[in-house]
Amino acid sequence: MREISLQANPGQIVGIIGPNGAGKTTLFNCFAGLYHPTRGQIEFLDSPVVPEFSEAMVKRVRRYAFFFLALGLIWLPLFWSFFLPGALFKLELVLLGVFILVIRCLLIRGLLRLQIWAWGLMFVFLLSDLCFAAWWLTHPFSPASLVGARIPVGYIAWPWGFVAGPFSIYLMIQLWVRRVRQLYGFRLRPDAICRLGMARTFQNIRLFFNLSVLDNVKIGCHAQMRTGLSGALLRTRVQREEEAATESEALEHLRFVGLEKRAFDLAGTLAYGEQRRLEIARALASRPRLLLLDEPAAGMNARESSRLIQLVLRIREKGITVLVIEHDMRVMMNLADHIYVLDYGRLIAEGTPDDVRSNPKVIEAYLGGGAAHAEA
Amino acid sequence: MGFRQLGHNPRLLFFGLLLLAVLLPWLPLGSSTNYILRILTTAVLYMVLALGLNIVPGFTGLLDLGYVGFYGIGAYTSGLLAIHYDLSLWVILPLAALNGALWGTLLGAPTLRLTGDYFAIVTFGFSELVVLVLRNELWLTRGPMGLPGISPPSIFGHPLARDWEFFYLILLLLIIVLLVVTRLQDSRIGRAWFAIREDEIAAQCCGVNLIRYKVTAFAISASIGAMGGAFYAKWFKFIHPDMFKFWESILILCLIVFGGMGSIAGTMLGALILIPLSEVLRAVLPQGLFSARYLIYGLVLVLMMRWRPEGLIPFEGAQARKARLARERLNL
Amino acid sequence: MDSLLDQSSLFLQQLVNGVTLGGVYALIAVGYTMVYGVIQLINFAHGEIYMLGAFLAYTMVTVFGIPFFAAFILTMLICSCFGIVLDFIAYRPLRKAPRLAALITAIGMSIFLQNLALMIWGSQIKSYPREVLPPILFKTAWSVGDVTLSWLQIFILSITVLCMAVLHLVIHRTKIGTAMRAVSQDKTTAALMGIGVNRVISFTFAVGSAMGGMAGILVGLYYNAIFPTMGYIAGIKAFAAAVLGGIGSVPGAMLGGGVLGIAEVMGAGYISSEYRDGISYAVMIAVILFKPSGLIGRQIREKA
Repeated sequence: MREISLQANPGQIVGIIGPNGAGKTTLFNCFAGLYHPTRGQIEFLDSPVVPEFSEAMVKRVRRYAFFFLALGLIWLPLFWSFFLPGALFKLELVLLGVFILVIRCLLIRGLLRLQIWAWGLMFVFLLSDLCFAAWWLTHPFSPASLVGARIPVGYIAWPWGFVAGPFSIYLMIQLWVRRVRQLYGFRLRPDAICRLGMARTFQNIRLFFNLSVLDNVKIGCHAQMRTGLSGALLRTRVQREEEAATESEALEHLRFVGLEKRAFDLAGTLAYGEQRRLEIARALASRPRLLLLDEPAAGMNARESSRLIQLVLRIREKGITVLVIEHDMRVMMNLADHIYVLDYGRLIAEGTPDDVRSNPKVIEAYLGGGAAHAEA
Repeated sequence: MGFRQLGHNPRLLFFGLLLLAVLLPWLPLGSSTNYILRILTTAVLYMVLALGLNIVPGFTGLLDLGYVGFYGIGAYTSGLLAIHYDLSLWVILPLAALNGALWGTLLGAPTLRLTGDYFAIVTFGFSELVVLVLRNELWLTRGPMGLPGISPPSIFGHPLARDWEFFYLILLLLIIVLLVVTRLQDSRIGRAWFAIREDEIAAQCCGVNLIRYKVTAFAISASIGAMGGAFYAKWFKFIHPDMFKFWESILILCLIVFGGMGSIAGTMLGALILIPLSEVLRAVLPQGLFSARYLIYGLVLVLMMRWRPEGLIPFEGAQARKARLARERLNL
Repeated sequence: MDSLLDQSSLFLQQLVNGVTLGGVYALIAVGYTMVYGVIQLINFAHGEIYMLGAFLAYTMVTVFGIPFFAAFILTMLICSCFGIVLDFIAYRPLRKAPRLAALITAIGMSIFLQNLALMIWGSQIKSYPREVLPPILFKTAWSVGDVTLSWLQIFILSITVLCMAVLHLVIHRTKIGTAMRAVSQDKTTAALMGIGVNRVISFTFAVGSAMGGMAGILVGLYYNAIFPTMGYIAGIKAFAAAVLGGIGSVPGAMLGGGVLGIAEVMGAGYISSEYRDGISYAVMIAVILFKPSGLIGRQIREKA
């Protein structure tokens, strides 16, 4: 996918169309946080789902990470010289040293992948490096020899201390600088995005087939609930009230899509059209501000898709913005306020339904080159 | 078909069985009472262990092959604490559970991001490493010499010595674990686990933080396993690294698969059937064949997966029953 | 402290031993990786086929008095048949089942076979009797200082290299090899193209099992000991090698086998021999955590 620029305003129904393989579902997956784009920015309700970051910044972080790794490798023999006097060889200390090195490598990998836990843990390691470097710098004539060999450890430790100390401080400052800090932790995970208020359905129905219909919707409510382990185990009054409230809310959502009669059947026993509606109910249960519908009318006949159109319009009345991917043109024309057209991962047209319908590029994408000329 | 009747009123059945179990030591069974009690104690112990393991593959859908590692950690925690510090069982049990949860979290946090196959292998590797450490770190565990002379638990100063006392103790432990597991099942956490089992991606998009819930499941499973181990150490009064080999994990997995992965009643039934069966085998088969009894467990796994993968009491059946009860409750 | 010369000859000897062991691991690992490539399942029972190879050859040589090399070939044939049967009864019915079910079946088969062997042959360690083996195998072929290379090691290494070469040719130059590669990339399309997917899978099992069985005999010769639980340990190590090289990639399995063999022997020699098996587990866990696609392998993403 490249060069796609899309915007959805509150209260709109925005449609996305395009031939198969154009990248529509991939786009949804990026919005929902399941895929990470290599470049670009995604913002939802003024929170960056994928922050904008500059290449230069990332390159700088990479350089620092490798430097940190190199220092870490020298750190290992120093560690062993510290703890293993003379030529005595203790398996457990060797394993400990290797283990810490392995953690350092994992940390660097996390750092390079811009993961927030790595960023946090980095400070601990940098601090330990600082202390270690300070120790070596203040004990220049330590009698230890490098891992039992005949090299006095001071020859290695002093230069290392001189480099590692200031570097650790510098790196700590760098990681704290706002622009670098923003690189980490703002790649929101799909569940965090759900909590922010984005919910979705899937092209191939992804229900929890072995659970009851009601349970499916209750899981949709998951993001809005609060109780955790202790509540569940102790059955506190708060927990019991929340469970009851969730149950009635779930039934309410089922009533909204017209499935309350089937609330206690297993989701796998529902008819296809009902399953699609259940997915929508589950998505609505997380009280979203933005709803992503991926081909909701697929496989439906004319009557069912009319009911679907009514359902989506009622969803809009609730104040929820909707993004719809659809192949059924009748549904799309009746629903969308604004349409974006994708082909081969590129945005080829946008506008109101009428604009898009008569756009020659769109016709060409769907029907091939000849048809555009035929229309004209 | 009989299992369907069970489904209709399991509460009654459970309390009936419990009553029977409590009265068991007083029934006039003659000289074999103690023998039967010991078998049943083993069976109930395995019920506890199986309920613990059930949380991971049963509720969350991940294959944990290293469960015996936690069992061993719990047993050695309990044994070492009993020998060096002479603590009471009521202190040891929570400590062992905590230790189990700690190791479960430590192991789970980095590995639960992996796909199912790799996670299974990593857990297997973990349990092997645990056995290796138990066998080789002589300064801690006395290695292959084992850990003899663990003192039995005592209540109000009276040390437990007779078979029926241990039987009641393990029944108590079972009730505690059952309480925990059933409460977890019918809560927000349980639903999140089932969602993860059914479809991870959909669960994520519904707001379930995959890593947190997977690690929680793993840690709770580990702590239950550790509690089982703690009981075992105190009951058997002697532990040895060879008691915690990989094949125990397979046995417990077999219990769950046979009874029904994910369903609590099924898990307990699996243990109740298969463990006494192995005792019967021990009596019937000559020694050489008996040590190969895992052959049967392996065969059970293969056959069950081929012909009845949902087990004796399926998880879906339990869900359907729960839904029916909810419908009755809400009068819809 | 040992002199530098002693140290280097120790190092070289370890290297030689490591490469030999690595060759054997590579043979077993190739079986794992090929099966994973075509059906995306870790065949836990593969280690048991390796063990079975060792024991079948032993039985043929001691009980039936078949000459050694004939027994070698015969064992390979029986093992490949066995692999096909294993796929047919255990894995084929579960092709459409969820992953968890297939994994459990694989483990169940593995445990079943181990204990079957335990029942049939007993738990005592056995070894190939010297009389039936060609005496040249026990002579030293070449030695420089303290470093020795026996004919047995040369035999193992050459067979390993030969097998790898043949396998490479088969996979890249023959029709069935191309079919294997097609199935491992996209099963449905391969079926649509007219490839008999089940037959290709059976063939994969056959080849992998034959090599696994052969590895069993080679190890039995090398360590002069076979026992029913050898499959389980070697299986995990070979799996670690397959993962290290990149599961699903045959050159990866070869590379991984070599690296793991050397790492294990070096580790056992220099660090600790009790934790010898632990080294393989640690390598495997490290690879899985760091780079699950291994040294050469490829990543697969699930589409939402």
